[in-house]
Amino acid sequence: MSALALFAVWLLALIAAVPIGAALWAVGAQMLDAAAWQALWADPQTWRAWGMTLWTGLASTALAWITVAHVLASGFIRQQLGRWLSHLPALLATPHAAMAIGLVLWLSPSGWALRLVSPGLTGFSAPPPWFTTQDPWGLGLILALWFKEVPFLLWVAATQMQREDLRRRWQAEYALAQTLGRPPAQAFAQIIWPQLAPRLRWPLLAVLAYGLTVVDMALIIGPATPPTLAVLAWQWLSDADLLTQSQGVAAAGWLTGTVLVAGVVTVVALRALAALRKFASRGLLLQTAEDWAAVFHRGRLPLRPNVVWTLILSTYAAIWFALTVGSVSGVWPFPQVWPELWTLNAWQQVASSAHTVWTTLGLGVASASVCLLWSVAWLELAPRRWQQALQPWFLLPLVLPSVLWVVGLYSLALHTRLEGQWLGLSLAHAVMVLPYVLLALVPAYQAVDPRQAALVASLGHGRWVYLWRVKWPLLQRAIASAWAVGFAVSVAQYLPTLYVGAGRFATVTTEAVTLAAGSQRSLMSAYAALQMLLPIAAFALAAWLGRPRRFEKIAPMKATP
Amino acid sequence: MTDTPQDGLHHGMNDGMNDGLHVHIERLGSAHHALVSGLRLDVPPGEILTLMGPSGCGKSSVLAAIAGTLASVSEGLLPLQLQGSVQLNGRELSNLPTHQRGVGLVFQDALLFPHMTVAENLLFAVPACGTNGISRTNAQRQARVQQALQEADLSGMGERDPSTLSGGQRARVALMRALLAEPQALLLDEPFSKLDAALRAQLRPWVFAHVRERRIPVVLVTHDEQDVADPQRVVHLRAMEESTNHV
Repeated sequence: MSALALFAVWLLALIAAVPIGAALWAVGAQMLDAAAWQALWADPQTWRAWGMTLWTGLASTALAWITVAHVLASGFIRQQLGRWLSHLPALLATPHAAMAIGLVLWLSPSGWALRLVSPGLTGFSAPPPWFTTQDPWGLGLILALWFKEVPFLLWVAATQMQREDLRRRWQAEYALAQTLGRPPAQAFAQIIWPQLAPRLRWPLLAVLAYGLTVVDMALIIGPATPPTLAVLAWQWLSDADLLTQSQGVAAAGWLTGTVLVAGVVTVVALRALAALRKFASRGLLLQTAEDWAAVFHRGRLPLRPNVVWTLILSTYAAIWFALTVGSVSGVWPFPQVWPELWTLNAWQQVASSAHTVWTTLGLGVASASVCLLWSVAWLELAPRRWQQALQPWFLLPLVLPSVLWVVGLYSLALHTRLEGQWLGLSLAHAVMVLPYVLLALVPAYQAVDPRQAALVASLGHGRWVYLWRVKWPLLQRAIASAWAVGFAVSVAQYLPTLYVGAGRFATVTTEAVTLAAGSQRSLMSAYAALQMLLPIAAFALAAWLGRPRRFEKIAPMKATP
Repeated sequence: MTDTPQDGLHHGMNDGMNDGLHVHIERLGSAHHALVSGLRLDVPPGEILTLMGPSGCGKSSVLAAIAGTLASVSEGLLPLQLQGSVQLNGRELSNLPTHQRGVGLVFQDALLFPHMTVAENLLFAVPACGTNGISRTNAQRQARVQQALQEADLSGMGERDPSTLSGGQRARVALMRALLAEPQALLLDEPFSKLDAALRAQLRPWVFAHVRERRIPVVLVTHDEQDVADPQRVVHLRAMEESTNHV
């Protein structure tokens, strides 16, 4: 490596690592406050909130993991995974808050689910006083997290399974296992899944961390008395009282510890499961393996449509539909299935505060583009060993609670006088966006055949010709979708926007979450729909940019001499 | 690595020092483990030297050392380093980057670029300047592509998606692409190993005829005796013994 390249790699590593490190340092320093911790322990809400956090986080993660295993298994076995996963960007683009709001529109006492059966089945002529959303058991939150995290895990699995090299190898191994007498479900469970699951470990930890620490979704659909610990921490952090604020920092620290312990426990549990499976495949516990495979893949008939996948798709469709109808609804008395009055009022209101949309777009484009440029430069220049060594560090924003990050990023912004500034806010977004962009790009980069670079060089072309005419065009799809993922992540940011932006910046997400607490159904739905439409537009743009080249099907036969 | 006077660069091409490829590998390997040592290869222009040996003996690494692509071979493992010299027509290559060496490469996979048509794949290789240093017009470059397509018996298939070609067709395009870059030496890394026996038997004489025609030194790596181009020029590479302190 030349001195210049080495310098560039160092610079890149510092650019990404320093803000992360500095933010952690800043929040760590604030945590050394005994009074804050005492206040945290003494608060009667703390323990119940913590219990609620554990319950919702662990249950939603476990459900998402089982669902993903099931969908991947049946999709792979039926050779339909590619087709199924082609719907994925739309699911992935649905932000957490929009998901939660859509579920509320269905499940709340005045929601569609009850309207459909009222008053016919229930006899209700007014919404019943039920806790169907913000239920004290956290079920609504679990449901929302479950449906939201499945597409994310599937997407990470897809970046692996659609790698040309892995896809071919796994297909061959899967076929081989069947020639050795394994039925398809077992072949998948014993050969493919053990190779795939470890690759999903980081994303799974991210899902777990997200479930344990989510704020925006929990504000909308989570329990209120007590809320989850993350919501409590957020409430304390936004309190005017300094001691309450530091109690919030302590709660963020406690939450971080919880995530770390839960992460370790999850990894150990997965290892134990894998060991059990190895044990089983040696024939000692063959029966267990078969039972397990049966659990894995209940649908024995190869043509039976997959229930789970259909359920997920229809849930998303129902949510989009609810948001769309909600955004144009006017007067809508309870048991009626359709609004009495249709109106574009809400959209006109959105249009009149167009700066909110521009802020959202600007932040998304800036942070996604910066992260993409950084990631491409990093993956091109840094040696593989550096990449592997530093990857966990860059993925930290994915696994540590956002209440922790905002405290650190805010004090970092205070030190650099960037708090409440556009630049500071977009950098804070970039810190949160970077791990997703990196995760999206790494598998595509790993799949590049190193002989291709050698071949291009042997044709007499330098590095830039290789990058511009061969490598990057071939990675176009991955690059475009990494950008779209980054944009979607930025659009969905709630806490950093509010906190680092010092409340001066409104995005469609902050508006939607704020409105969810009120009673303006149509305006809330409009912002939630917009929050979803922006990422979907980005994914559509990415799909168009990354579309594979169309060749002529059959070349015109020329008369050749 | 050997130090070479910079003026060595200017000989070779112009003043007729057309004395072929001379490779002397004192040691090729990682810091802990020598893969190949004490190997000499001398290939005059227009001759094909066949390098044979069992898997893992370092055949492909020798080619990578000649082409200057050791970095891409050692990806993930310990980096391989060459001690020795590689001379082509009087030029010392070992300190030059691959794209300045004038050494062509053909792998067992054709490695046609999937986002380019067959003709674009070929055009990619045609240098913008001729050997005389005068830049070529687009029409001239296109003409060379068409000629290559004809030589490969693929006329009219220029606009095709490379993935729609048969294995033999792809192999022919790969060779033509390497030759269009006007290399001063060509390295063939098991170019026939992915083809069936009948296709191999067809392709072998075609490849050998084309490379001999260019009057350039060629090194062919194979583990198949039938691939030997010239029984007079065969080098057998033996696997080095594992170092006893192997970790």
